[in-house]
Amino acid sequence: PLSAGWLPALQFVRRGSKAVTRHWKAMHFQRQKLMAVTEYLAPRPAVPPRCLAPRKETLEEDDGYVRLLRRQVEEVFRDNRMIAICQYNSMPDEDVVLMRHYLRKHNIEVKFVLNEIVRPVLSQSKYKNLLPLFVARNILLVSPETKAKEMLRVLKGVPQINLLGACIDDTILSRQGVENFAKLPSLEASQGQTAGALALLPSQTSSLLQRGSAHLTALLDQHIRRLQAGETGSPAEPAPAQSLGAH
Amino acid sequence: KKMASKISVVLRPVKSIVVRFCPFESNVESTRKFLGCINHKKIQATNRNCEVTADVRHDGSEPLVDVMFADGERLIMKGANLTTIEMLTALRSRCNAKELQEEQKSKKKSP
Repeated sequence: PLSAGWLPALQFVRRGSKAVTRHWKAMHFQRQKLMAVTEYLAPRPAVPPRCLAPRKETLEEDDGYVRLLRRQVEEVFRDNRMIAICQYNSMPDEDVVLMRHYLRKHNIEVKFVLNEIVRPVLSQSKYKNLLPLFVARNILLVSPETKAKEMLRVLKGVPQINLLGACIDDTILSRQGVENFAKLPSLEASQGQTAGALALLPSQTSSLLQRGSAHLTALLDQHIRRLQAGETGSPAEPAPAQSLGAH
Repeated sequence: KKMASKISVVLRPVKSIVVRFCPFESNVESTRKFLGCINHKKIQATNRNCEVTADVRHDGSEPLVDVMFADGERLIMKGANLTTIEMLTALRSRCNAKELQEEQKSKKKSP
Protein backbone atom coordinates (compact mmCIF):
# COMPACT_ATOMS: atom_id res chain seq x y z
CA PRO A 1 0.00 0.00 0.00
CA LEU A 2 1.19 3.55 -0.78
CA SER A 3 2.22 5.66 2.13
CA ALA A 4 -0.08 8.44 3.14
CA GLY A 5 1.84 11.27 1.65
CA TRP A 6 2.87 10.32 -1.90
CA LEU A 7 3.96 12.61 -4.61
CA PRO A 8 2.84 11.99 -8.21
CA ALA A 9 5.55 11.04 -10.74
CA LEU A 10 4.59 13.77 -13.18
CA GLN A 11 3.88 17.27 -12.06
CA PHE A 12 2.08 19.61 -14.41
CA VAL A 13 3.76 22.98 -14.18
CA ARG A 14 1.43 25.92 -14.12
CA ARG A 15 3.73 28.47 -15.62
CA GLY A 16 2.55 31.14 -17.98
CA SER A 17 -0.51 30.29 -20.10
CA LYS A 18 -3.03 27.50 -20.09
CA ALA A 19 -3.47 24.93 -22.80
CA VAL A 20 -6.17 26.85 -24.65
CA THR A 21 -5.12 30.47 -25.18
CA ARG A 22 -6.50 33.42 -27.05
CA HIS A 23 -3.18 34.00 -28.81
CA TRP A 24 -1.23 31.64 -31.02
CA LYS A 25 0.74 29.41 -28.75
CA ALA A 26 3.98 27.79 -29.93
CA MET A 27 3.56 24.11 -30.60
CA HIS A 28 5.44 21.49 -28.66
CA PHE A 29 8.53 20.48 -30.57
CA GLN A 30 7.31 16.96 -31.09
CA ARG A 31 4.04 18.26 -32.42
CA GLN A 32 5.94 20.62 -34.73
CA LYS A 33 7.92 17.70 -36.14
CA LEU A 34 4.76 15.68 -36.68
CA MET A 35 3.02 18.52 -38.52
CA ALA A 36 6.05 19.08 -40.76
CA VAL A 37 6.20 15.43 -41.70
CA THR A 38 2.50 15.07 -42.40
CA GLU A 39 2.11 18.17 -44.61
CA TYR A 40 -0.09 17.84 -47.71
CA LEU A 41 1.76 17.28 -51.01
CA ALA A 42 -0.37 17.84 -54.13
CA PRO A 43 -0.25 14.95 -56.62
CA ARG A 44 1.56 15.94 -59.84
CA PRO A 45 0.71 14.25 -63.13
CA ALA A 46 3.52 12.24 -64.65
CA VAL A 47 3.28 14.18 -67.92
CA PRO A 48 2.67 17.94 -67.57
CA PRO A 49 -0.75 18.75 -69.07
CA ARG A 50 0.58 21.08 -71.75
CA CYS A 51 2.48 18.21 -73.36
CA LEU A 52 -0.69 16.29 -74.03
CA ALA A 53 -2.99 17.04 -76.95
CA PRO A 54 -5.55 19.76 -76.12
CA ARG A 55 -8.91 18.37 -75.04
CA LYS A 56 -11.76 19.59 -77.23
CA GLU A 57 -14.33 21.09 -74.87
CA THR A 58 -17.83 19.82 -75.60
CA LEU A 59 -19.57 22.86 -77.05
CA GLU A 60 -23.11 24.06 -76.21
CA GLU A 61 -25.57 21.34 -75.42
CA ASP A 62 -28.03 23.31 -77.54
CA ASP A 63 -30.83 23.51 -75.02
CA GLY A 64 -34.42 23.91 -76.00
CA TYR A 65 -34.55 27.57 -75.00
CA VAL A 66 -31.77 28.49 -77.40
CA ARG A 67 -33.47 26.47 -80.11
CA LEU A 68 -36.77 28.22 -79.44
CA LEU A 69 -35.15 31.64 -79.62
CA ARG A 70 -33.44 30.71 -82.87
CA ARG A 71 -36.70 29.52 -84.34
CA GLN A 72 -38.33 32.81 -83.34
CA VAL A 73 -35.59 34.77 -85.05
CA GLU A 74 -35.99 32.72 -88.21
CA GLU A 75 -39.74 33.33 -88.16
CA VAL A 76 -39.17 37.04 -87.71
CA PHE A 77 -36.92 37.14 -90.75
CA ARG A 78 -39.43 35.21 -92.80
CA ASP A 79 -42.64 36.98 -91.88
CA ASN A 80 -41.74 40.63 -91.95
CA ARG A 81 -40.99 42.81 -94.90
CA MET A 82 -39.09 45.46 -93.01
CA ILE A 83 -36.45 44.65 -90.39
CA ALA A 84 -34.44 47.53 -88.97
CA ILE A 85 -31.42 46.98 -86.73
CA CYS A 86 -30.62 49.66 -84.17
CA GLN A 87 -28.01 50.04 -81.49
CA TYR A 88 -29.53 50.17 -78.04
CA ASN A 89 -27.81 52.36 -75.47
CA SER A 90 -29.36 52.13 -72.04
CA MET A 91 -32.55 54.14 -71.96
CA PRO A 92 -34.88 54.89 -69.07
CA ASP A 93 -37.72 52.40 -68.96
CA GLU A 94 -40.52 54.90 -69.47
CA ASP A 95 -38.89 55.98 -72.72
CA VAL A 96 -38.71 52.39 -73.86
CA VAL A 97 -42.40 51.90 -73.17
CA LEU A 98 -43.32 55.16 -74.91
CA MET A 99 -41.26 54.29 -77.95
CA ARG A 100 -42.82 50.82 -78.13
CA HIS A 101 -46.24 52.44 -77.94
CA TYR A 102 -45.58 54.86 -80.79
CA LEU A 103 -44.12 52.18 -82.97
CA ARG A 104 -47.01 49.83 -82.24
CA LYS A 105 -49.35 52.42 -83.68
CA HIS A 106 -47.59 51.95 -87.00
CA ASN A 107 -47.63 48.18 -86.59
CA ILE A 108 -43.89 48.06 -85.90
CA GLU A 109 -42.78 45.63 -83.21
CA VAL A 110 -39.69 46.05 -81.05
CA LYS A 111 -37.66 42.91 -80.35
CA PHE A 112 -34.65 42.62 -78.08
CA VAL A 113 -32.19 40.11 -79.45
CA LEU A 114 -29.06 38.41 -78.22
CA ASN A 115 -26.12 38.39 -80.57
CA GLU A 116 -25.08 34.84 -79.84
CA ILE A 117 -28.48 33.61 -81.02
CA VAL A 118 -28.83 35.78 -84.06
CA ARG A 119 -25.35 35.25 -85.44
CA PRO A 120 -25.65 31.51 -86.18
CA VAL A 121 -29.11 32.00 -87.67
CA LEU A 122 -27.88 34.72 -89.99
CA SER A 123 -24.74 32.92 -91.06
CA GLN A 124 -26.85 30.04 -92.31
CA SER A 125 -29.50 32.11 -94.01
CA LYS A 126 -28.95 34.41 -96.97
CA TYR A 127 -28.43 37.51 -94.80
CA LYS A 128 -24.71 37.05 -94.38
CA ASN A 129 -24.01 40.74 -94.89
CA LEU A 130 -25.98 41.63 -91.81
CA LEU A 131 -23.51 39.68 -89.63
CA PRO A 132 -21.06 42.54 -88.83
CA LEU A 133 -23.97 44.61 -87.55
CA PHE A 134 -24.62 42.35 -84.59
CA VAL A 135 -22.02 43.56 -82.12
CA ALA A 136 -22.87 45.22 -78.79
CA ARG A 137 -26.47 45.61 -77.74
CA ASN A 138 -29.02 45.69 -80.52
CA ILE A 139 -32.75 45.75 -81.00
CA LEU A 140 -34.79 44.82 -84.03
CA LEU A 141 -37.74 46.80 -85.29
CA VAL A 142 -39.83 44.50 -87.43
CA SER A 143 -42.93 45.26 -89.41
CA PRO A 144 -44.97 43.66 -92.18
CA GLU A 145 -45.38 47.11 -93.75
CA THR A 146 -42.60 49.40 -94.90
CA LYS A 147 -43.33 52.63 -93.09
CA ALA A 148 -39.85 54.02 -93.08
CA LYS A 149 -40.82 57.67 -92.67
CA GLU A 150 -42.82 57.18 -89.49
CA MET A 151 -40.15 54.92 -88.04
CA LEU A 152 -37.45 57.52 -88.68
CA ARG A 153 -39.60 60.21 -87.09
CA VAL A 154 -40.08 58.18 -83.92
CA LEU A 155 -36.40 57.27 -83.76
CA LYS A 156 -35.41 60.91 -84.15
CA GLY A 157 -37.23 61.66 -80.92
CA VAL A 158 -35.24 58.97 -79.12
CA PRO A 159 -31.56 59.97 -79.03
CA GLN A 160 -30.30 56.80 -77.41
CA ILE A 161 -31.27 54.50 -80.26
CA ASN A 162 -29.14 54.69 -83.40
CA LEU A 163 -30.33 53.16 -86.63
CA LEU A 164 -27.55 51.05 -88.11
CA GLY A 165 -29.19 49.44 -91.12
CA ALA A 166 -32.28 47.74 -92.39
CA CYS A 167 -33.40 44.90 -94.57
CA ILE A 168 -36.48 45.95 -96.52
CA ASP A 169 -38.00 43.43 -98.91
CA ASP A 170 -34.82 41.35 -98.87
CA THR A 171 -32.72 44.40 -99.75
CA ILE A 172 -30.03 45.40 -97.32
CA LEU A 173 -29.94 49.17 -96.81
CA SER A 174 -27.66 51.36 -94.79
CA ARG A 175 -28.92 54.30 -92.75
CA GLN A 176 -28.58 56.58 -95.76
CA GLY A 177 -30.48 54.06 -97.83
CA VAL A 178 -33.33 54.02 -95.34
CA GLU A 179 -33.54 57.79 -95.40
CA ASN A 180 -33.64 57.77 -99.20
CA PHE A 181 -36.24 55.04 -99.12
CA ALA A 182 -38.38 57.13 -96.79
CA LYS A 183 -38.18 60.07 -99.21
CA LEU A 184 -39.50 57.96 -102.09
CA PRO A 185 -43.19 58.40 -103.01
CA SER A 186 -45.55 55.63 -102.00
CA LEU A 187 -45.93 52.48 -104.06
CA GLU A 188 -49.28 53.47 -105.62
CA ALA A 189 -47.98 56.88 -106.68
CA SER A 190 -44.88 55.42 -108.28
CA GLN A 191 -46.95 52.70 -109.98
CA GLY A 192 -49.23 55.36 -111.43
CA GLN A 193 -46.24 57.33 -112.59
CA THR A 194 -44.74 54.30 -114.34
CA ALA A 195 -48.03 53.40 -115.99
CA GLY A 196 -48.40 56.99 -117.22
CA ALA A 197 -44.86 57.05 -118.57
CA LEU A 198 -45.35 53.72 -120.34
CA ALA A 199 -48.67 54.77 -121.80
CA LEU A 200 -47.19 58.02 -123.11
CA LEU A 201 -45.01 56.30 -125.71
CA PRO A 202 -47.71 54.27 -127.54
CA SER A 203 -49.94 57.32 -127.66
CA GLN A 204 -47.12 59.17 -129.31
CA THR A 205 -46.47 56.28 -131.73
CA SER A 206 -49.91 56.46 -133.29
CA SER A 207 -49.62 60.20 -133.82
CA LEU A 208 -46.07 59.72 -135.18
CA LEU A 209 -47.25 57.14 -137.74
CA GLN A 210 -50.11 59.31 -138.82
CA ARG A 211 -47.96 62.41 -139.04
CA GLY A 212 -46.76 61.75 -142.57
CA SER A 213 -50.22 61.23 -144.08
CA ALA A 214 -51.71 64.02 -141.93
CA HIS A 215 -49.02 66.40 -143.25
CA LEU A 216 -49.79 65.31 -146.80
CA THR A 217 -53.55 65.87 -146.36
CA ALA A 218 -52.90 69.28 -144.86
CA LEU A 219 -50.64 70.25 -147.74
CA LEU A 220 -53.18 68.99 -150.28
CA ASP A 221 -56.04 70.81 -148.56
CA GLN A 222 -54.03 73.99 -148.78
CA HIS A 223 -53.26 73.28 -152.41
CA ILE A 224 -56.95 72.68 -153.16
CA ARG A 225 -57.95 75.87 -151.45
CA ARG A 226 -55.35 77.76 -153.43
CA LEU A 227 -56.51 76.09 -156.65
CA GLN A 228 -60.13 76.77 -155.82
CA ALA A 229 -59.24 80.30 -155.03
CA GLY A 230 -57.32 80.41 -158.30
CA GLU A 231 -60.37 78.64 -159.98
CA THR A 232 -58.52 75.76 -161.67
CA GLY A 233 -61.22 73.52 -159.97
CA SER A 234 -62.06 69.74 -160.49
CA PRO A 235 -59.17 68.11 -162.56
CA ALA A 236 -56.81 68.74 -159.57
CA GLU A 237 -59.12 66.88 -157.10
CA PRO A 238 -59.31 63.21 -158.31
CA ALA A 239 -55.50 63.06 -158.83
CA PRO A 240 -54.60 63.82 -155.15
CA ALA A 241 -57.49 61.54 -154.00
CA GLN A 242 -56.00 58.57 -156.00
CA SER A 243 -52.48 59.14 -154.60
CA LEU A 244 -54.03 59.19 -151.10
CA GLY A 245 -55.77 55.84 -151.82
CA ALA A 246 -52.43 54.29 -152.91
CA HIS A 247 -50.92 55.18 -149.45
CA LYS B 1 -9.84 42.10 -65.65
CA LYS B 2 -11.75 45.35 -65.36
CA MET B 3 -15.22 45.50 -66.88
CA ALA B 4 -15.86 48.41 -69.17
CA SER B 5 -19.10 49.33 -67.45
CA LYS B 6 -17.38 49.69 -64.07
CA ILE B 7 -15.16 52.58 -65.21
CA SER B 8 -16.80 55.81 -64.08
CA VAL B 9 -16.04 58.91 -66.06
CA VAL B 10 -16.88 62.38 -64.81
CA LEU B 11 -18.10 64.24 -67.86
CA ARG B 12 -18.27 67.68 -66.31
CA PRO B 13 -15.53 69.32 -68.38
CA VAL B 14 -16.90 67.79 -71.58
CA LYS B 15 -19.17 69.77 -73.86
CA SER B 16 -20.04 67.22 -76.52
CA ILE B 17 -19.06 63.79 -77.76
CA VAL B 18 -19.51 62.64 -81.35
CA VAL B 19 -19.06 58.96 -82.10
CA ARG B 20 -18.72 58.18 -85.80
CA PHE B 21 -18.61 54.66 -87.17
CA CYS B 22 -19.67 52.52 -90.08
CA PRO B 23 -21.55 49.50 -88.76
CA PHE B 24 -20.85 47.30 -91.76
CA GLU B 25 -17.11 47.39 -91.05
CA SER B 26 -15.55 44.81 -88.80
CA ASN B 27 -13.40 47.02 -86.56
CA VAL B 28 -16.20 48.98 -84.91
CA GLU B 29 -16.87 46.70 -81.94
CA SER B 30 -14.88 48.67 -79.35
CA THR B 31 -16.30 51.98 -80.57
CA ARG B 32 -19.85 50.69 -80.33
CA LYS B 33 -19.25 49.35 -76.83
CA PHE B 34 -17.71 52.71 -75.90
CA LEU B 35 -20.87 54.43 -77.09
CA GLY B 36 -22.98 52.03 -75.08
CA CYS B 37 -20.95 52.61 -71.91
CA ILE B 38 -21.02 56.38 -72.27
CA ASN B 39 -24.78 56.32 -72.47
CA HIS B 40 -25.03 54.68 -69.07
CA LYS B 41 -27.19 56.37 -66.46
CA LYS B 42 -24.37 57.08 -64.01
CA ILE B 43 -22.06 58.69 -66.51
CA GLN B 44 -24.86 60.72 -68.08
CA ALA B 45 -25.87 61.87 -64.62
CA THR B 46 -22.50 63.55 -64.06
CA ASN B 47 -23.25 66.06 -66.78
CA ARG B 48 -26.71 66.53 -68.21
CA ASN B 49 -25.56 69.16 -70.68
CA CYS B 50 -23.15 66.91 -72.48
CA GLU B 51 -24.58 65.94 -75.85
CA VAL B 52 -23.67 62.49 -77.08
CA THR B 53 -24.30 62.08 -80.81
CA ALA B 54 -23.86 58.96 -82.86
CA ASP B 55 -23.02 59.44 -86.52
CA VAL B 56 -23.75 56.33 -88.54
CA ARG B 57 -22.15 56.35 -91.97
CA HIS B 58 -21.63 53.88 -94.76
CA ASP B 59 -18.49 55.18 -96.42
CA GLY B 60 -15.93 52.74 -95.08
CA SER B 61 -14.31 55.37 -92.88
CA GLU B 62 -12.77 54.20 -89.66
CA PRO B 63 -14.48 54.55 -86.29
CA LEU B 64 -13.84 57.88 -84.59
CA VAL B 65 -14.62 59.44 -81.22
CA ASP B 66 -14.53 63.21 -81.13
CA VAL B 67 -14.66 64.78 -77.65
CA MET B 68 -15.07 68.54 -77.33
CA PHE B 69 -14.12 69.97 -73.91
CA ALA B 70 -15.60 73.06 -72.36
CA ASP B 71 -12.31 74.96 -72.57
CA GLY B 72 -12.04 74.42 -76.31
CA GLU B 73 -9.74 71.42 -76.26
CA ARG B 74 -10.49 68.53 -78.57
CA LEU B 75 -9.71 64.85 -78.14
CA ILE B 76 -9.91 62.57 -81.15
CA MET B 77 -9.70 58.84 -80.61
CA LYS B 78 -9.46 56.51 -83.57
CA GLY B 79 -11.11 53.38 -82.35
CA ALA B 80 -10.02 51.01 -85.08
CA ASN B 81 -7.23 49.47 -83.00
CA LEU B 82 -8.21 50.57 -79.50
CA THR B 83 -10.15 48.61 -76.95
CA THR B 84 -13.13 50.03 -75.10
CA ILE B 85 -11.31 50.05 -71.78
CA GLU B 86 -8.37 51.96 -73.22
CA MET B 87 -10.64 54.62 -74.66
CA LEU B 88 -12.58 54.96 -71.43
CA THR B 89 -9.45 55.22 -69.29
CA ALA B 90 -7.95 57.82 -71.62
CA LEU B 91 -11.09 59.93 -71.45
CA ARG B 92 -11.29 59.47 -67.70
CA SER B 93 -7.69 60.54 -67.09
CA ARG B 94 -8.15 63.67 -69.21
CA CYS B 95 -11.41 64.56 -67.47
CA ASN B 96 -9.81 64.15 -64.06
CA ALA B 97 -6.88 66.33 -65.10
CA LYS B 98 -9.27 69.02 -66.27
CA GLU B 99 -11.23 68.82 -63.02
CA LEU B 100 -8.03 69.27 -60.99
CA GLN B 101 -7.09 72.30 -63.08
CA GLU B 102 -10.48 73.87 -62.51
CA GLU B 103 -10.34 73.22 -58.79
CA GLN B 104 -6.94 74.85 -58.58
CA LYS B 105 -8.20 77.84 -60.53
CA SER B 106 -11.23 78.27 -58.31
CA LYS B 107 -9.03 77.91 -55.22
CA LYS B 108 -6.71 80.64 -56.53
CA LYS B 109 -9.62 82.94 -57.25
CA SER B 110 -11.27 82.55 -53.85
CA PRO B 111 -8.53 82.19 -51.20
